[in-house]
Amino acid sequence: MSTPRLDVAVVKHLPGFTIDVHWTAGDGVAVLFGPSGAGKSLTLACLSGLVRPDAGRIVVDGQVLFDASAGIDVPPQRRRVGYVFQSLALFPHLSVAENIGFGLRDRSRHERGNKVAEVVERLGLGGLEARRPSEISGGQRQRVALGRALAIDPALLLLDEPLSALDLPLRRALRDELRETLAALRMAAVVVTHDFTEAYRLGDRIVVYENGRVVQAAPRSELLWQPASESVARIMSIPNLLRGTVVKATPNRIQLRWRGQTLEAVNSPARAYLPDAEAPLAFFVRPEYVRLIRKDRGLADPGHHMNVMRGTVVDDADFGTTWTLRIRLDEPGPPAQGAWDLEVEVPHLVYEILDIGHDREWEFSIHRGSIHVLPG
Amino acid sequence: MSAESLDALWLSLRVAVLATALDAMVGIPLAYLLARRNFRGKTLVDLLVTLPLVLPPTVTGFYLIVLLGRRGWLGAPLYAATGFTIAFTWTAAVIAATVMALPLLVRTARAAIESVDRDFERAAHTLGRSEWRTAWEVTLPLARNGIVAGLVLAFARALGEFGATLMLAGNIPGRTTTVPLAIYTAVQTGESGQALGLVALLTLLSCGVLLIAGRLGARAS
Repeated sequence: MSTPRLDVAVVKHLPGFTIDVHWTAGDGVAVLFGPSGAGKSLTLACLSGLVRPDAGRIVVDGQVLFDASAGIDVPPQRRRVGYVFQSLALFPHLSVAENIGFGLRDRSRHERGNKVAEVVERLGLGGLEARRPSEISGGQRQRVALGRALAIDPALLLLDEPLSALDLPLRRALRDELRETLAALRMAAVVVTHDFTEAYRLGDRIVVYENGRVVQAAPRSELLWQPASESVARIMSIPNLLRGTVVKATPNRIQLRWRGQTLEAVNSPARAYLPDAEAPLAFFVRPEYVRLIRKDRGLADPGHHMNVMRGTVVDDADFGTTWTLRIRLDEPGPPAQGAWDLEVEVPHLVYEILDIGHDREWEFSIHRGSIHVLPG
Repeated sequence: MSAESLDALWLSLRVAVLATALDAMVGIPLAYLLARRNFRGKTLVDLLVTLPLVLPPTVTGFYLIVLLGRRGWLGAPLYAATGFTIAFTWTAAVIAATVMALPLLVRTARAAIESVDRDFERAAHTLGRSEWRTAWEVTLPLARNGIVAGLVLAFARALGEFGATLMLAGNIPGRTTTVPLAIYTAVQTGESGQALGLVALLTLLSCGVLLIAGRLGARAS
């Protein structure tokens, strides 16, 4: 990355809570992701100038908005930050058009009218100009809040849980719409969310927060496949987050012991992670990458299947297009995840063809590339 | 209705309207500051404004005499400079009513302002508004019903003020005798018919005011 568009370093002490974060982001949307109370919204407040950090430096597209050591603190009124609040904060006593035009007071009436019309057009709010926020739908309100923030031609756009007020179907539709709008605008944008799907759909770069700290900042695909640690994987609610013991580690492979099995996983020479034998090891297995071995095709082929295990389906759940199976290994000792060891996801069709509803005993395999080792 | 009664009614209305206007000018900014700012002496200001609500009106009236009487802390320099004394004029009646009604406005308006979601103000700040413009364009309009309810209550209180007015303005027919004082005088001199008329009038006015305040308050919440 050359010069980042966003360079954010913020330290802020509040009673009983401290954030101390530093992250950067290039082109595209940066998503701050993490559990509630991790300091994501507080970071937005610092970016907007509404909260003054105790220390740090905030640079947006080369412009220094805050620098504690240089005594720079541009007030929120002059930061040109478009801020979409979680509560939306649409002025209830003003019309849709007045809300959108609120930040354009210093422009001429003509200019303001044009800008409001442009935003109304872009966000598909035509015909609602004279309505009050209480007289339009939740999705329309969300668009008006975005429009009000965009109308000032912001240097930086901040969205705090922008879709949290909406119900699920609308949330999905607006998520994709928002993604397109953000992609078209090409301005620096920061989105806060605690929903990983939303983070992944909206963000080009995802910054993971936990307890007022950044635990990982990475392009979204890297985060999905290589969470930096067990705690990041836990924040992402990754299923089948497991713990085993190292048997042997080389730059390309890691052998580990788990629930009486010896499993082989891929290691990456790039990260140079070589734990000692007998060291504890966290790893995860994506439920959709576990392969059930068909009983009508003969014995498992060792060249084709690796990490073969046997188990019983102790529970299953229908998710519409997929089934989630909870499998307990045929091994003594307590299962890894309460009553079961692994979650396995199979398409509906596979569930029906293999008659998993009745046939509960299965052999299955996991490719070594689908066992993701988490560096300690 | 007798000429004295009409004089008293006219005076009462003038006093109440002026007192409410003065309360609005002082009370609304004060309510905003108490709701939204932290400053040194905030507790003291809050206490001083609220005190007339709990003190006997004669005690408040006594303090006003100490402050504004011919030999008072402010009254003496004023008399020395202009030869004018506030005490025992209708101006005194206005001041007494203003002070007595102020806590009702400030408390109601403060609660209304405090209930405005701060996100509205934060949004206004990021959209270029200073704190004062935000108060004017966002906070106060959103607290409007509560503020108006406070003004209505203050007006009713000013209309019915008795104790502090008697202490500072006296009971001079045609000059400082407001309706409550006229009722008192009428009862003392045995003119119960006149007293009854004024009592009925004041009751009616107060009921009307309470109904309006209740409706505005209900809409505010």
